[in-house]
Amino acid sequence: MKNKFTGLLFLMMVLAFPGYAQWSAGIEAGYNQNVLYTNAGALAFTKYRPLNGFSVGIPVQYQVKDWFSIQADPQFIQKNYQVKRTQFFEGIYQDNINSYVQLPLMGHFTFGGEKLKGFLNLGGYASYWSMGRIKGVQANIFSDIESTSDTQEYNRYLELKNGYAYNESYTFIDRKDNRVELGWLAGAGVSYQYKKYQFFVEGRYYQSMTDQQKDYMINQIPRYNQTYTAQIGCLYQFAKKPKKSESSN
Amino acid sequence: MVMGLVSCQKELPDLEQPEQYIVGSFSEEFEAFWNGMNNNYVFWDVDPTDWDAVYTKYKPLFARLNINKDEDIRKAYTYYREMTANLVDSHYTLIPSNNALLDSATINPAYKRIQKRSDFHGFISEGYYYNNVFVNILGRNGLRTVDSTDGAYMVTGKTSTNVLYFHFNQFDLKNRSENGTLAERQLIQYFFNGINDNSVRSVVIDLRGNGGGNLADLNFLMGAFTDKSYSFGATRSKNGPGRLDYTPWIDASVTPKAGARAFTKPLIVITDQYSVSMAEITAMATKALPGGNGRVVGERTWGANGPLTSNVFYNGGQFSTALFNLVYTSSQMLRYKDGVVYEGVGFPPDVTVTLNVLQFQSGRDNQLERALTLANQ
Repeated sequence: MKNKFTGLLFLMMVLAFPGYAQWSAGIEAGYNQNVLYTNAGALAFTKYRPLNGFSVGIPVQYQVKDWFSIQADPQFIQKNYQVKRTQFFEGIYQDNINSYVQLPLMGHFTFGGEKLKGFLNLGGYASYWSMGRIKGVQANIFSDIESTSDTQEYNRYLELKNGYAYNESYTFIDRKDNRVELGWLAGAGVSYQYKKYQFFVEGRYYQSMTDQQKDYMINQIPRYNQTYTAQIGCLYQFAKKPKKSESSN
Repeated sequence: MVMGLVSCQKELPDLEQPEQYIVGSFSEEFEAFWNGMNNNYVFWDVDPTDWDAVYTKYKPLFARLNINKDEDIRKAYTYYREMTANLVDSHYTLIPSNNALLDSATINPAYKRIQKRSDFHGFISEGYYYNNVFVNILGRNGLRTVDSTDGAYMVTGKTSTNVLYFHFNQFDLKNRSENGTLAERQLIQYFFNGINDNSVRSVVIDLRGNGGGNLADLNFLMGAFTDKSYSFGATRSKNGPGRLDYTPWIDASVTPKAGARAFTKPLIVITDQYSVSMAEITAMATKALPGGNGRVVGERTWGANGPLTSNVFYNGGQFSTALFNLVYTSSQMLRYKDGVVYEGVGFPPDVTVTLNVLQFQSGRDNQLERALTLANQ
């Protein structure tokens, strides 16, 4: 896995031709949905569900060819998910709000006209799970709800036990939590050039290749983040773009 | 390349409830049991047992056994005993279903642990409370009941110095107060009336030999001693299939009964090494009384503090396999308000009084004497 990732970076570097280079930098922000690729094993009435989050980043682009740039987007991104109990246990859940500091590095391939262009991004990323927050409701085993009559029926466990609501920082568990995540990304979008500014809209997908947990037990069910992002941004070009006739001499 | 990167991911193992395994060999039975424990046991973060090492060591041993041979079944039973010997869960009991094991004792690591205690002694018989305490200590000034169907008995009354005494061997008070016999209902009401009796100078609840029972009794009993909710610890349960997947700690509180007043007189709970589960939780709730008037006297408890209910409610705890009618284990972890998990250790008394067995055999109960001394102060 490491060899493939290193190979991808190497390919990018080989393609980088400094004679054509120009720098752009800007800002981007997005809304995402994270799906935890895993399962709940044999747990009854329990599901993992996607949750939404957001990301903000500072894209930095280094243009190598008219059609190719190298881009890095140091960013803050949430990769959230929910553990939810269903049916009789409806109402019992935990939202896991996980924040990552992430560095995507990608090839940026453009096509189309002078001002309006399409682009594809393909690359890899490394991120660090910097903090977590958990909030939800669990049934409190010592807190019974008194029945109002002998014939009272129940549809939810939370009609029998009071729920306990919480919203607190997640305490990382050294034995379990793998806080470094590596993965690949693919994105596509359109950009519009206005003077030195390039505005863009992009859909991007992040696929973790590393388990969110350390390998700490036999028959462990792995957990991989899969993050679908829609984002907008703007890049500012620091150097004048050379004309094609100049670059061909 | 993308496909290559995706292939770096590990496969998701298929895990089933242990009850769903089709067991035609000991290899399958072992998998059902090992995975059942791996996913449902709630104490993995404090338990010293290396469950992966258990898998590595015992998987090939079970593979050599034939599930249709009685001698192999008995051999397997010794393996299970070894595998679970150091589990901290003191509720933990393996109850076999196979005919070849009918003459075998259930596997109960906690009892082995108790037997190693320096203050280990035998179980005080129920007749002692029912007869000796009722006659000699209470002077028949009270009530006593026994349920011949399940052996539940209760003794309450007042000493000559107006100490209200209550002993019962299982927590089923709320149920018996609503659905019990007339004598049981009267006895329970007698005790609760006594709490609010101005002439009563203190209360002694004798939880020696109490094996625990219904969690609903916590508020039913301790809720009579407080007019406001108070915390005595916290619980947590599993919220994922991983060994270390837990909910956060959830406040464990006593909720006052309707109309209850704050009890400001001494409340003394007597415990011994046979005070189990709800008896231990009640001792914790006594010690944590907001007024500081609760004291625990006697011996360190059995050490089974984790609340226990059906597996489905809190995604953990007891299950069964083809060989075991029940793998009896806690559904949640409990820690006292000092942050310590006393599972497998036992809740310590404020005033340690080890039963003097020789004196006891000659008619003196030094634990009850000490509790009454404190109650009379």
